[in-house]
Amino acid sequence: MKQPVGHYAYESRDREFLQERIAEFEDQVKRRLSGALSEEEFKPLRLMNGIYLQVHAYMLRVAIPYGILDSRQLRKLAHVARRYDRGYGHFTTRQNIQFNWISLEDAPAILRDLAEADMHAIQTSGNCIRNITSDEYAGAARDELMDPRVHAEILRQWSTLHPEFTFLPRKFKIAISGSPEDRVAARFHDIGLLARPSENGPLFRVFVGGGLGRTPVVGQELFDSVPEAELLATLEATLRVYNAYGRRDNLYRARIKILVQTIGIEPFREAVKAELAKMDLSHYRLTPERVAAIRARFAAPELHAVDDADAVLAQHQKEDPAFARWMQSNTHPHFDEGYSIATVSLKTPGDIPGDVTAEQMDGLADIAERFAFSELRVTHLQNIVLGHVRKDQLYALWQGLKELNLAAPNIGLAGDIVSCPGLDYCTLANARSLPLARKLGARFGDARLQEEIGALSINISGCINACGHHHAGHIGILGVDKRGSEFYQILLGGQAGDRASIGAILGPALSEDDAVAAIARMIDHYLAHRNEQESFLEMVTRLGKAPFKEVAYETV
Amino acid sequence: MKLFNLSQQHIIPAEEADPVSLAELKEHPEAAYAVALEPDESAEALRPFLAQITLVVLHFPIFRDGRAFTQARSLREYEDYKGEIRVTGHVLPDQAAFLRRCGVDTVVLPDDDDQTEWEAQLKRFTITYQQSIAS
Amino acid sequence: MKRLSHLSPNECVLLTAARLLDGRIVWRGRDGQWFDHVAQAACLTAEESEAALEEASTQAARQGVMGVYPVVARKGEPPQPVSMKEHIRAFGPTVHPEFSYVPQSEASS
Repeated sequence: MKQPVGHYAYESRDREFLQERIAEFEDQVKRRLSGALSEEEFKPLRLMNGIYLQVHAYMLRVAIPYGILDSRQLRKLAHVARRYDRGYGHFTTRQNIQFNWISLEDAPAILRDLAEADMHAIQTSGNCIRNITSDEYAGAARDELMDPRVHAEILRQWSTLHPEFTFLPRKFKIAISGSPEDRVAARFHDIGLLARPSENGPLFRVFVGGGLGRTPVVGQELFDSVPEAELLATLEATLRVYNAYGRRDNLYRARIKILVQTIGIEPFREAVKAELAKMDLSHYRLTPERVAAIRARFAAPELHAVDDADAVLAQHQKEDPAFARWMQSNTHPHFDEGYSIATVSLKTPGDIPGDVTAEQMDGLADIAERFAFSELRVTHLQNIVLGHVRKDQLYALWQGLKELNLAAPNIGLAGDIVSCPGLDYCTLANARSLPLARKLGARFGDARLQEEIGALSINISGCINACGHHHAGHIGILGVDKRGSEFYQILLGGQAGDRASIGAILGPALSEDDAVAAIARMIDHYLAHRNEQESFLEMVTRLGKAPFKEVAYETV
Repeated sequence: MKLFNLSQQHIIPAEEADPVSLAELKEHPEAAYAVALEPDESAEALRPFLAQITLVVLHFPIFRDGRAFTQARSLREYEDYKGEIRVTGHVLPDQAAFLRRCGVDTVVLPDDDDQTEWEAQLKRFTITYQQSIAS
Repeated sequence: MKRLSHLSPNECVLLTAARLLDGRIVWRGRDGQWFDHVAQAACLTAEESEAALEEASTQAARQGVMGVYPVVARKGEPPQPVSMKEHIRAFGPTVHPEFSYVPQSEASS
């Protein structure tokens, strides 16, 4: 079989491992059904296989390591959606996909089907090291310093059924990027890694203790330049400190961010250094040979730019303004002049953000095969990226996406709304988030209006656990429950990335319709009073939240 | 109570072990050979006594509390402890391989516990992705 | 969750749980059996619900259900759970009418 572009090609041992893991889970399901395992005991075991008990049924969360899928895998996900679910899948902010209508009885069979395409659901939940996330433009972006995916795969393998770190105080999320621009929200992860090359091999900047949720914290720098050889040792040491000292008496105080906050970054760093001092580093050394062996299992796309690609593309844009608008918002510079990175918006106005039907999955698989080396990337903003598209083929790609109803020209704009599943599906939620996402999406659905508004991120979470990353949105919305009714708090001024900051609560929570109207008034206020070229976020930064609060609450 | 042997090392019979607490060990180190460590006590605290210790007992208040994995691995890796490591408390057979790989030798089980699951779990995985104390 | 001691005359208590095998929502009927549809749920007084909850919880494992708890609903055919969360559990997600457990006309209160 030809090696997949962009992700690790499984060896026979990786496949054997998956079969062993599925057999174990099948046995655990049997023991649960026989009563040998109580629900309390079974719960963490099923969670570590991606299975939640949600509002209507069991939910299965499938891992998409560092966000990369090949077309064969996407077709397998379409099969799961059709055969075991209701024809849908939902892409999440953690570069995973969730199926909402799963039966526990079917779960082992689903995992077997997924394993046929080298996919699994291992550690997509539970108090363990979760799916490793990475940059959606990895290996393609013009500004990238190094492709982080080889190291992401090394971390995936290292964290898989780690004997010491499978029963941590709480979940542990790691993101890795190789770009100067932080597109992975490294400072909002338990550990964020920013990789860069040097004369002596890759170096890693390590952030620790970031996260959203109940207690949003921007991560702090633990180390500036960890050499590749010491990457695994450094992570081991950090996790050892966390496993020994992280709180276990209070679920809401158990993340590593609380430990780092409580003792302070300097003592935490000293504790990690003390572990490193006790370790035989040669034993934990990530060798160049090991890195090379993993890298050899990644195929690179064979790029063949055509001479007149730019001219052909310019002609297409001239002839079709709708295409030109999509080009403007949904493409990103590729390192090869003849190629572009294209983002497929899963935010068609009025639809559910991140929801994809089985037919759309199959259609996207076809498109990836035709235009993008069969490779797709799931983004933490719930979209799909095609990493390497020849410029002269972008028009045909866009036409294909239009047929799938996936050609919304709204990436990075008001319609590109991030939302958790909310109360419609999630047992933790206090309020629905999807109906609000649809209303806002429809309200700002007009492409010209979105273009005029410019860069704007709206993030919706149905509860304080913040799966919709509401603290990190320029406009954040948090659903709350007030005596059995749904209300929505608005936050302003959050952002991920290099200048990560946490949005501030604007004022009292509003009803769903009032929240939509308040946001519309804030955006109108921005359009009427902005300085030239000033983005919404820049205006919020310049003026503070007061003027926005005033217009948001003017009729309430 | 009975013991399940994970490592196939020579072990101290259940009825013979009479572990003291870390505090007792510090107070009266003379004749002690077995010590029970609480989850919040560090393996390093045993360093002055390890020459005489042949059994360290670690405790799981609940199976989700994984501190004993770090304690066991630290005893083996940092303290070079060669004696027996035993775990008590709420432990699941599903944790058998993790325990062994972190250097645990024995698990204390209720008398009526079925050991077949433990046996099965030890043999389940032929492939692992990390180096560890024991394979 | 509305306190059971503050029921108004047009409200009652339903018992609900999740089925172990497929995770589906079930409602407890008069005879102690579990049903897929909220219309078959027994509409209980607060006092009745206490005894029924105790009985249902002890039988849960044997009946293949888990997490039994009481829900306040307005009486009706079918009963209408008061909170949005329970309304969604009874009638299906609000964003996919095609997944609704009952026709929309019935589900709207």
